[in-house]
Amino acid sequence: MKYRVYISFRQGILDPEAEAIKKTVHSAGFKNISKLSKGKFFDIELKKNSKKEIERLSEKILSNPIIEEYEIEKLNKK
Amino acid sequence: MISIIVFPGSNCDRDLKVAIERVTNLKVEYIWHKTTHIKKTKIILIPGGFSFGDHLRAGVLASHSPAINEVTRHAQKGVPVIGICNGFQVLTECGLLPGVLLKNKKPKFLCKVVKLKVNNQTPFTKKYKTNQILEFPIAHSQGNYFLTDNELERIKENQQIAFKYCDKEGKTNKLSNPNGSILNIAGLTNFHKNVIGLMPHPERAIGLRNLNDGTLFFKSFEDLL
Repeated sequence: MKYRVYISFRQGILDPEAEAIKKTVHSAGFKNISKLSKGKFFDIELKKNSKKEIERLSEKILSNPIIEEYEIEKLNKK
Repeated sequence: MISIIVFPGSNCDRDLKVAIERVTNLKVEYIWHKTTHIKKTKIILIPGGFSFGDHLRAGVLASHSPAINEVTRHAQKGVPVIGICNGFQVLTECGLLPGVLLKNKKPKFLCKVVKLKVNNQTPFTKKYKTNQILEFPIAHSQGNYFLTDNELERIKENQQIAFKYCDKEGKTNKLSNPNGSILNIAGLTNFHKNVIGLMPHPERAIGLRNLNDGTLFFKSFEDLL
């Protein structure tokens, strides 16, 4: 079973990298962009299917719950 | 014995040993991060550097090392634990200290000397005077300390803030804040005050060049035994 875990900053947490990207994007002519945030994702394959294990992994290691939130997506629906 | 935990990517482990041996008569040993049992130890230090290449988040991969389980076990028994720079990041990630260290507000690596104001209500800062202004070097890109409002009230009430970034008059404000840390926090302890984390490097201020304010930080170790 394959899963994709998305990690992003919680609302209100300052992300200076995203701010820097937004500034460059604006000066490159993409004036229409009003908001830009960034995150990361992990593709994970399990030997035995266990969504609980993915949740535990996301909470314990992949994200820091003080500043980040995670979202889990199943990749192959079989 | 004083134990310094070493990870792949640690680079202040030797500096710490030199500093402790120069300032005190205490014996220092290195502990490799794969160690599953730390026997007798009086004080544990987690050094600066870039453990595991700072991958994922600074300190998180190191915080799941076998040696850190041992650090937690000793900390819970009251053994003093000190994390400097990357060591501070490891201590927040493993939950021994509250909060988290974000990227600097201006996303640049900072390498300079800063001024700090002391709160001497912690066992690690007792050799200094209250509100004494110190000079320590900093060298980090993720030193922007963040904490939720509720926890912030708790650490203020319990006098856990050990060091704050300040200017030469001791003012703690936006201008004297190098990295965006909440309340200009540069270092703090846990609730029981036996664990401390700080971003600045006292081991780089022990009188070898023009900075000497770190000496008393290590001198305080003698009173912790």
